Amino acid sequence: MFKQPLFKVLAITAGLTLALGQVGASPAWNEAGGEKDEALHLKGDPVNGRDVYEVCAACHLPEGWGSKDGTFPQLAGQHGTVIVKQLADIRSLNRDNPTMYPFALPASIGGAQALADVVAYLASLPMSPDNGVGPGTDLELGKQLYADNCVRCHGDQGQGDAEKFYPKLQGQHYEYILRQFREIKANKRKNANPDMVKQVHEFTEQQLLAVCDHASRIKPPADKMAPSADWKNPDFN
Amino acid sequence: MKYQALLLAVPLFALAPGVQAADDGPALYLKKTCIACHGKDAKTPILPTYPKLAGQSADYAFNQMKDIASGARNNGQTAAMKGIMHLVSEEEMRTIANWLATLQ
Repeated sequence: MFKQPLFKVLAITAGLTLALGQVGASPAWNEAGGEKDEALHLKGDPVNGRDVYEVCAACHLPEGWGSKDGTFPQLAGQHGTVIVKQLADIRSLNRDNPTMYPFALPASIGGAQALADVVAYLASLPMSPDNGVGPGTDLELGKQLYADNCVRCHGDQGQGDAEKFYPKLQGQHYEYILRQFREIKANKRKNANPDMVKQVHEFTEQQLLAVCDHASRIKPPADKMAPSADWKNPDFN
Repeated sequence: MKYQALLLAVPLFALAPGVQAADDGPALYLKKTCIACHGKDAKTPILPTYPKLAGQSADYAFNQMKDIASGARNNGQTAAMKGIMHLVSEEEMRTIANWLATLQ
């Protein structure tokens, strides 16, 4: 009984310290093993996943759409592998996210099976047709930068790659993409892919804004989106 | 199910007459995501190291919210809250703080 809370306090302290600017010594993009692999080998149960998701819904919304201002990312439609990786990374302090941290803990959402379940549930949700986009002032530059730098991993339609843990960018909020880009550039996102880290360092501020703006405007396929921005998730009504 | 009960409870609070200034408190507490960390009753935080807010002095709660939002207070666990405080205006902070002070 004593061990768990003590570990938690230590972990939180470590998480917050890192979040405040001290970067860990050995960034790890995607080491095999651990809870991530365990969860990915389990069959997810979307019915239990709905119950797991309840705590997440307070911020990411019942629809899984996050917030248009990018405070919270859209999770609906994201590859399950990507979400499992991020959750496992956040709770093992390989991605510092002090706001999200307590919700990623097993005490909040459960163990590896819960991760498998919640991504199975998220996979069933339609995506927002109305995500936050950038100012639209430099789209030609953004399009070119995207073609030259991003397509190889994130795909020409921002579809990402589930098997390689490359996130889907379609429908993601501009401000969220921009914030991740900035954190990767500042070496604060420890679990970022090293190839991307290298690439991002070469972007100027103008290029960074332009490419994020372009990425935020890539819409998901019509059959993956909700029929309207007013759609409400009936599982939570 | 818990979520459902909560969503239903908010409009009922909002309809309560006579407490004009504070009656948006429960709605803001939900909408601004305070509820996620500090708990449905504002005294069951998600981590034992996060504060209980129910019954807290309104001025104290307001000042902490204001200072965490501005960065004037940046010690302890404030990094967890700073990232969402741009969602809350000072007027809304006051409304939430006044409402929290009325809780037992």
